[in-house]
Amino acid sequence: MVLDEFRINEEPYYRPVSDEVGLFEAAYAARMPMMLKGPTGCGKTRFIEHMAWRLGRPLITVACHEDMTASDLVGRYLLDAEGTRWHDGPLTLAVRHGAICYLDEIVEARQDTTVVIHPLTDARRVLPLEKRNELITAHPDFQLVISYNPGYQSVLKDLKESTKQRFAAIEFDFPAPSVEAEIVAHEAEVPADVAHLLVRIAGSSRNLKGQGLQEGVSTRMLIHAGRLIARGIPLAKACEITLVLPITDDADVRDAFSAAIAASVA
Amino acid sequence: MLDLGSAASALLRDHPDLADAVIPAWPAIGRRFPPDARDQWLRACAAMADAALGQTCVLAYLRGGLACAEIIGPDPVIDLGDTAIALGRTAGVRAAQALLAAAPKAARRLGTPSRFREWLAAVERLAPMAPESMAPMLDRTEGLLAELDPAAFEAWALAGVRAAADDPGRRLAFFLLSTRESLRALHREADDLAFSAVERRLKAYLAALWRLRAPVRHAKADAAGGVPRRASFSDGLVWMPETFRGVAGQRAEDLFRASLVHIGAHLRHSGPRFPVGSLKPLQLALVSLIEDARVEHLAMRGYPGLRRLWLPFHVAEAGGAGTAPVLMARLARALIDPHYQDDNAWVAKGRTLFFEREDSWADPAISRTIGGLLGNDLGQMRVQFNAKTYVVEPAYRDDNLGLWDFGDAAAANRAEAETVYEAYRVEHAEQDGDPSGVPPEPREADPAERPDRSAPAPDDPEIAAPPVRYPEWDYLIGRERPDWARVVERFAYEGSARSIDRIIDQHKAVVDRLTALVRSAKVSRPAWLRRQPEGDRLDLDACIEAALSRRRGETPDTRVYATLARRHRDLSVLLLLDISASTNDLVRGTDKSILTLERHATALFANTLAELGDPFAIHAFCSNGREEVRYYRIKDFRRPYDAVAKARLAGLAAELSTRLGTALKHAGRILARQSTHRRLLLVITDGEPSDIDIADRRYLLEDARKAVLALSHLGIDVFGIGLDPNGKEYLSRMFGQRNFLVMDRVERLPEKLPALYLRLSH
Ligand SMILES: Nc1ncnc2c1ncn2[C@@H]1O[C@H](COP(=O)(O)OP(=O)(O)OP(=O)(O)O)[C@@H](O)[C@H]1O
Ligand SMILES: [Mg+2]
Repeated sequence: MVLDEFRINEEPYYRPVSDEVGLFEAAYAARMPMMLKGPTGCGKTRFIEHMAWRLGRPLITVACHEDMTASDLVGRYLLDAEGTRWHDGPLTLAVRHGAICYLDEIVEARQDTTVVIHPLTDARRVLPLEKRNELITAHPDFQLVISYNPGYQSVLKDLKESTKQRFAAIEFDFPAPSVEAEIVAHEAEVPADVAHLLVRIAGSSRNLKGQGLQEGVSTRMLIHAGRLIARGIPLAKACEITLVLPITDDADVRDAFSAAIAASVA
Repeated sequence: MLDLGSAASALLRDHPDLADAVIPAWPAIGRRFPPDARDQWLRACAAMADAALGQTCVLAYLRGGLACAEIIGPDPVIDLGDTAIALGRTAGVRAAQALLAAAPKAARRLGTPSRFREWLAAVERLAPMAPESMAPMLDRTEGLLAELDPAAFEAWALAGVRAAADDPGRRLAFFLLSTRESLRALHREADDLAFSAVERRLKAYLAALWRLRAPVRHAKADAAGGVPRRASFSDGLVWMPETFRGVAGQRAEDLFRASLVHIGAHLRHSGPRFPVGSLKPLQLALVSLIEDARVEHLAMRGYPGLRRLWLPFHVAEAGGAGTAPVLMARLARALIDPHYQDDNAWVAKGRTLFFEREDSWADPAISRTIGGLLGNDLGQMRVQFNAKTYVVEPAYRDDNLGLWDFGDAAAANRAEAETVYEAYRVEHAEQDGDPSGVPPEPREADPAERPDRSAPAPDDPEIAAPPVRYPEWDYLIGRERPDWARVVERFAYEGSARSIDRIIDQHKAVVDRLTALVRSAKVSRPAWLRRQPEGDRLDLDACIEAALSRRRGETPDTRVYATLARRHRDLSVLLLLDISASTNDLVRGTDKSILTLERHATALFANTLAELGDPFAIHAFCSNGREEVRYYRIKDFRRPYDAVAKARLAGLAAELSTRLGTALKHAGRILARQSTHRRLLLVITDGEPSDIDIADRRYLLEDARKAVLALSHLGIDVFGIGLDPNGKEYLSRMFGQRNFLVMDRVERLPEKLPALYLRLSH
């Protein structure tokens, strides 16, 4: 099979936070384009991997960046001995053979690049390959999923309305403390009490959002802290280097966060 | 058989006489020291024994080291040993002993390994300069470190060394704290720390703990010159003394921190005010004391580490005079310090009553019950209690006025109760107006009712352009009132352009930093230009086409390279300044007005933009009713940023009100004519929109919100910068969740504004 390398054979660990699994299954059944919204490091990527595995579909992920052109998505002609050969880009591959295509951090891509997804995300479900003069009708299993972090601080970087409105969205946020602790314990291999403590610490950083912090500590950062603790680094040190230092350069906010960490520890 | 490990075995082999000290302490040692650190420490003990400082020192090190490890962790204990040995060498055995005896107290005072090490290093540096004084000085460690942080401590000691001019006798007198000079130096170093210096980080701390954003007011001296000695809170408002007299440096910061967090615990866990009813002052004080302990324990359930914050201030000791304030301070300590021992029956009873009810701590009523019982007992013991002179202990606790409802019905008792708190009432006299912030009753905005302000004559020489009318959104009727407000463009007054250049000079460091940012804004967002005649990499698509052309026998296009170039910035920005009368107010803690800071910020902003090359304009507005929204153009898009623009910026004066919506519409109309890809309207405002003809606070707010929405439909991004720390709510209403920012330190606006722009436009 063409897409074998994109198949996920082992179940990626994902701890459902609310009804997102069911919602996504329904959306997939309707082949509805989906947008996963939420702050960085809260499990969007892990979720889509899990869903691809669950639905038995290959997953093609594209990390978007601002130099990405439409050709990088749909494909281009390459030369070979006889002449030229068309090479499908990741999006085209997914459209032809029925994969889930996940465009990660789509706001990073320029708007003239993102418009190529428009005909795919309305009733037509087609992808025009202008250079090849070809119009591909999407494979029945194909689905487009994008991720979108609304906390992004640049007013000049946002999705066009006409792009946004083509998607249904599932909102991700940091899970409830007990669930997040379960995730941290599982991923970082730390005891439950350490995981709970880390999640409480994350809570105080999230309280600082808007008070000097753009974003609170993410689940991903907690897992980093946990992994160091699992390797014998004392909690205070682990938190300092994985949570406090990366998150801000503002001395007052650092002080406040460090002090709150100290207060969390008996 | 005890497994001692190699280090301990070696120590006891070489110094068998230490067995009596080491063996019984072995379990405690295991608890305090992880194995590695333990062995290192035991080797340090051996080193000390070998240094021939005598057994007293080694024993003191064993005892003191264990105590220190409990407070600040094992690592600094090793340094303690090194310093003691060094001290023994330079200042004698007695000094080393004094150091080891002082170390646990210092650890408790200093609280962190790094500050403890700083103190050790200072002591070690001082020893050769004043060997004879080390022991007596170290004996006074507790008192000294209560006033001084390690750096201030060293500064004070060096002052002594210098003042004594090599006369050991004078030096000794200084270090015994028996000279005026010495005390004066102490107070100078212990320069009282003002709350404002630490306010931002402590408020952030409160937010981090509980998401509490309590407005904090500075309690200043009352008319009689008395500075309140305790913090206070009422109805969600916090009053913090500007300084705690005689408390300086790190200790003052700790005190502010402990105090603010204690109040935070009240705000989180204290219920509605207790009615004073018929309670006597002594009972009021005791109920308050129990309530303090209750909220602190609830706070410690979530944040056990808070105990370390509060505990150092509980210094009451068992024994001594049994006056009410003393017993109460001891009870307060007994309720928070598990290691505190006090066999006074009343204190013990209070402790039992309190901890018996651990399961009901969530209920504020227990404070009433327990406090009432203890108050009766104390009353029967006939101890002295002088309500007039009573001050809550320890110092971090607030005066507890916020806990009580003095009620109208209880007017008779109120007079009595008030005497307790008399001293602290004064500063509550409405310093900041109505703290509850209840908006005035909304009133229907009836156009017929509005006074018809006579418009300035069109040929008024101050008018720069024909007036323009804009509609205004009336949320009460859900419609726009057409042609409702009128913008009058006026000529800007000119001041001295040189003064703007001087501002730039003043902020040299910021300007340099911004220049670097500008440089990176210009170059760090590169884009690949494709199909170039030359470049540093091949453009794949162009190459393929060229190869195809060649195979077809055509002349290939040789522009097959891609080159990295600065992305063309295609953005114009209009900076709109609110110059209403309120911008004349001084920014707290500075001698500058808001307008002055706006001017500094704008100067830096303009300087940055001129370097960057983005088209920009600077306009300002204020208003005098709907017929006269004054609008000034400091710099226009098509004009250079030159001496004229600078002179106008210098000439800005604050006056009148803030009809923001209309100004936004006018600015938006000007900005809309710019043909750049993106257009950004940056607004700086110091408060809610308001005007003399509008009583309903929501009206202008909703109009401004409408204006922002309308502009965003035109593809104009509006971003608000609020200078009112409490403005979050209305700013997000007007500008939307993401498109505003509150400057919590207005004095930093000048450096922040250009940086913000660079970030927004990145
Ligand atoms: N619900 C969850 N179940 C299992 N693991 C999770 C969950 N949420 C977060 N994680 C963990 O957090 C890590 C970070 O999540 P992930 O990489 O999916 O974040 P993201 O939302 O995609 O972030 P970004 O927007 O930065 O790409 C994952 O590697 C995973 O270990
Ligand atoms: Mg109190």
